[in-house]
Amino acid sequence: MGAKEAVRRRWAALGWAYGLLLAFGVFFVAPFVMGFLASLKTDPLEWPFRLAFSQVSPKNWAAAWRLGQAGSGDPWLGGMRPGRQVALEVVYFVPRGVEPTLLAEIPRRKPGAGMGAVFETPYASDHVTLEGPIPLERRPAHQEEGEIIRYRLVLRYQGEGPFLERVPLDLEAPRGMVLVEATLDPTRFERRGRVASWDNVTPGLLGYVFHNYVRAFRETRSLETGESLFLRWTLNSFFLAFVKVVTTLVFASMAGYALARLRFPGRQALFLFMLFSMMVPGQVTFISNYLVLRDGIFGLSKLFGVETLLNTYTGLILSGLVGASAVFIMKQFFESIPREVEEAALIDGATPLQTLFRIVLPMSTPALGALAILTFQGTWNEFFWPFIVLTSPREIYTLPIGLLSFRNAYGQVGDWGLILAGGFFSMIPVLILFAVFQRYFVEGVNVGAVKE
Amino acid sequence: MRIKARTLEALYALLLLLPFLFSLGVFFLYAFLRAVYFSFTDYNLFSPPRWVGLANYWALFQEPSFLLALKHTLLYSLVVTSLQTFFALILAIALNRPLRGITFFRTVYYLPSVISTAAASLLLLWLFQRTGLVNQALSLLFSHLPHLAGFALLFLGLQGALVLWERRRGRRTPFLDPGLAAVSLLGAFLGTSAFQAWGLLQAREVRVDIPWLPTRASFLGLPYPLWAIVLMNTYTTIPTFMVLFLAGLKGIPRTLYEAAALDGATPWIMFSRITVPLLRPVLFLVITLGLIGTLQLFDQVLFVGGSGGAPLESTITLAYYVYGNVFPSGATPRVGLASAAALVLAGLTLVIVLLQRRFGVGERGWS
Amino acid sequence: MLRVWLILLALAGLASAQVQVRISGWGGTDIAIVNGLLKEVVQPKLDRKGIRVVYQPIEGDYTQWLFNALSAGTAPDLFYVDIFWSESLFASGRVEPLDGYFSKQELAEFLPNLIQAFTYKGKVYGIPKDFNTLALQFNKDLFDEAGVRYPNQQDTWETFEAKLQQVQSKLKDVAGLCVVADFARFGAFAFATGWKPFDAKGHTVLDENFRRAFEWYTGLPRRGAARFAQDLGEGWTGGCFGGEKAATAIEGAWIAGFLRDKAPNMRYSTTFLPLDPVTKRRGNFIYTVSWSMNAASRNKPAAAKVLKALTSPEAQQWVLERGLAIPSRRALANNPYFQRPGKEPELNRVVFQGSGPQGGNVYPFKFLAYGGDWMRPINDALLAVMTGQKGVDQALRDAQAALDRLTGRR
Repeated sequence: MGAKEAVRRRWAALGWAYGLLLAFGVFFVAPFVMGFLASLKTDPLEWPFRLAFSQVSPKNWAAAWRLGQAGSGDPWLGGMRPGRQVALEVVYFVPRGVEPTLLAEIPRRKPGAGMGAVFETPYASDHVTLEGPIPLERRPAHQEEGEIIRYRLVLRYQGEGPFLERVPLDLEAPRGMVLVEATLDPTRFERRGRVASWDNVTPGLLGYVFHNYVRAFRETRSLETGESLFLRWTLNSFFLAFVKVVTTLVFASMAGYALARLRFPGRQALFLFMLFSMMVPGQVTFISNYLVLRDGIFGLSKLFGVETLLNTYTGLILSGLVGASAVFIMKQFFESIPREVEEAALIDGATPLQTLFRIVLPMSTPALGALAILTFQGTWNEFFWPFIVLTSPREIYTLPIGLLSFRNAYGQVGDWGLILAGGFFSMIPVLILFAVFQRYFVEGVNVGAVKE
Repeated sequence: MRIKARTLEALYALLLLLPFLFSLGVFFLYAFLRAVYFSFTDYNLFSPPRWVGLANYWALFQEPSFLLALKHTLLYSLVVTSLQTFFALILAIALNRPLRGITFFRTVYYLPSVISTAAASLLLLWLFQRTGLVNQALSLLFSHLPHLAGFALLFLGLQGALVLWERRRGRRTPFLDPGLAAVSLLGAFLGTSAFQAWGLLQAREVRVDIPWLPTRASFLGLPYPLWAIVLMNTYTTIPTFMVLFLAGLKGIPRTLYEAAALDGATPWIMFSRITVPLLRPVLFLVITLGLIGTLQLFDQVLFVGGSGGAPLESTITLAYYVYGNVFPSGATPRVGLASAAALVLAGLTLVIVLLQRRFGVGERGWS
Repeated sequence: MLRVWLILLALAGLASAQVQVRISGWGGTDIAIVNGLLKEVVQPKLDRKGIRVVYQPIEGDYTQWLFNALSAGTAPDLFYVDIFWSESLFASGRVEPLDGYFSKQELAEFLPNLIQAFTYKGKVYGIPKDFNTLALQFNKDLFDEAGVRYPNQQDTWETFEAKLQQVQSKLKDVAGLCVVADFARFGAFAFATGWKPFDAKGHTVLDENFRRAFEWYTGLPRRGAARFAQDLGEGWTGGCFGGEKAATAIEGAWIAGFLRDKAPNMRYSTTFLPLDPVTKRRGNFIYTVSWSMNAASRNKPAAAKVLKALTSPEAQQWVLERGLAIPSRRALANNPYFQRPGKEPELNRVVFQGSGPQGGNVYPFKFLAYGGDWMRPINDALLAVMTGQKGVDQALRDAQAALDRLTGRR
């Protein structure tokens, strides 16, 4: 075999290796990318799935920006303010023999599901007047028998009034008349193509492209305070994860150190029992734990004037102070540290507490870091136990439980765009964390796996 | 004096262990014992528990929904564990080379594991709708089967011709020579495109319409919705286990492979005689972790069920059965029965761990 | 000086006389309804009586929460009870019978079917706050396009089916109706034949009448009048209807909110379910929710006053006018709201009337204390026949056997 050929073969093998890696990469990333694209669509379940749709067309971006600017001065999120007006042009094809009658209307429209159905928001139809459709231009069509008509519609918000988040518009044409072009593509066609319907003709750029996200954010609000629940849930999850990380790091190091270094009766038994506890699924213990929290940990909470620890963070935090697996990880780690380091301190008369916090822990940052990430990820994603403890009101949910309530609110009506948007919305914080700490994430797996 | 030091040390230990003992004692030991006790009683949260002996266990194995849940859980666990172990191993071997930019790929592959089960379930719900991406992709695939077949035939033909030509020139070329394969691949691609352009190959009208979620139909004993969860869960757990395998693979000395290569061992021999035996501890670890994790399937059941999703009969698992009996919708809770079912689940887990201890090697083998 | 004293006295009086009554229901859109109702109608009336209502809506699993709160003694004074699981709750003894608080006359002001639905062992355990029945919605555009006459209240199963067949054959891509394998829809047709879910002994007998309805319903897809909802990728008849995949739907007033989102411009209209050609009657379900009282409540008289205010004519008028729910009082049958033009008032009117004589053989949507377990054998039979896994004979035999096991017959 010639040297030249060996080189050629090595390059080709390298190419194949990268090709394979790339293929796997596509496999792992594609569902997310496609799901994200779908979350932008009005109908994420359209058949066939198009990669070029209204929300990714630059023409619509420009129009949404302009219309948002005209309607409220905010090109990003749009809306409409008093004293403003916006104009829209639509082009229809009218086949020969069909009378071109185009009816335009600003409908009184209100969401039917979720919290959007609850909030009283002002109706655009009460404030905005519609002028048109005015035919601007008529010319014969090229391809088919008939003519092309260009119409203009002007929406005016006169007098005083509230800020309108959205201004819907419906255009109804007789059968056969087809919408060929519009300043802004309609949100959907209804009644078998007869009605072109815009959810908002002053959407602004973000309001148009991230239509479902803006809705998820706006329509999932707390009834009492009106604040966005998605934001609340995210903050709750962060708070709980943070507390859990702190308690886990402190208490797991303490217990791990005692198990690794100190001699006391029953040490081996405790260790074995701990291993056993790690193998018992949460479904076994949650019944009693639920009752314990319900009664305020044997009535102890009543001393603080709290009837029950259900639906409280105190209950959730107390019941999850430190996990056996975290103790195990720390114990294993401490055992891998040479004893000599501590012995000097012990000889100087330091107590085990001082040794642990002054000498051992500062040396343990790698293990603590990995454990922190592992705990954070685990708490952030934890579902079963918070789901049992936190049931009401919605303001105290964590993100995963919030997502479930969100899914149930919109699943019946099949609003998958909104549901997908909610899912992706919830991924953002942990994706940012992952991007920053990705090495620890990957390493944390190995640390965590030692536990079994 | 000496005894005193001992006592002091024990006291310190107690102090350090206190928070952990509180957690372990109240929320595990007490809970576990109570679960065992409840499982022998008839308890509905309203009236005090009433001792019924083994009646709950007896009733459990008479109840169709429990048996269904048990069957689903076991099958699901087996399928997911084998799939994820297999693919994670393949992927780890593919990634275990000193290639430039390999860390980037590792990070990208890890992405699905970062996502919470809740968010992943929402994605799943969309992917497996009637006109969701999975059915769309399958339709695309099946309607282009002629292209694929043409492509494969062209590739094999070209490759065969090239290899023959090389061999005739006296070179010992293996059939899958990477360089030649690249050329054949390109040729096959161009050829298929040309056939398509000439109209020799045409896409067929195929519409795959599998109702993944709203159905009770099953395949190989598992209902469709659970298959959807199988696919999604495999997809999100492969990366985690891949990382474990990678760590294990790092521990295998390269020299072993080099020596084998000198002896003329094929890649398959190296894989089955070197990689797998030396990875055995990790392999067992991955399988155990996989089985334990999958036995407790709950979140996805909750998300995939419900309005616009799958019927409960098609998704019920042991964990869900337990939950559903403690908090039934509009009936009195059956805590005794639920506790018995939960203990069955715990028993299954324990058996698996013991089997692993028996046949596999613990963490000592590889770390 | 005198004024100061008077104010102080008044304040003291208020403080001492204030009684708190806690009420709970599930969340979702109900929160807005109850909140509005309390603020605008109920609380002003109760302020004079010195009663303060504290409303705590429950998000998440309501039944789970209620059963646990009752067992732990933390349940509120008044709470929602859904008819579907009402009996297992009433049987637990944790709900106060209301006969002592409501006179016969007061109870008679509510629709008798609804009061009957919340009567358990001769006692009334809940006052219905609103209800729903099934009605037939149809898409006028699709019928116009197919050139078929709209369904109307004289239609029998046969004439209705003929219309569906015409629509389906004229418009290739639209089903007449999409049927579901669910007793919650099919049951209305079974009731029309005179079949009863339970006989005097509490057993279920799938008799000849049941079979007639079963054969008609499951045969619709085969005879080209309907498609199976699953085959259209939908889980309920409203889903097919909203996506214009089916020309008709069989749903209650809840479909209005869905259509507002899914197809705000759809021109639809509502009529009664078709008649059984043999008995010339229809059947229907009543889905209803009550306000019930906690048997362990500490201030029952005050709770009873709140309960009365929540279900008073003024309160129900308020709810009805906003189109939020259908009230349970007989006097509201002639309310001007129902005569308003528009598709939603019409839908609400038909649903309201569905509970009365025009509804025909009407039964509440509950099955003793069996809950969903009772429906399962019938649903399985419907599914098996519609997907062609079993014949009618086999499916009904299996369902009968399962029901016998459940109800303890034989």
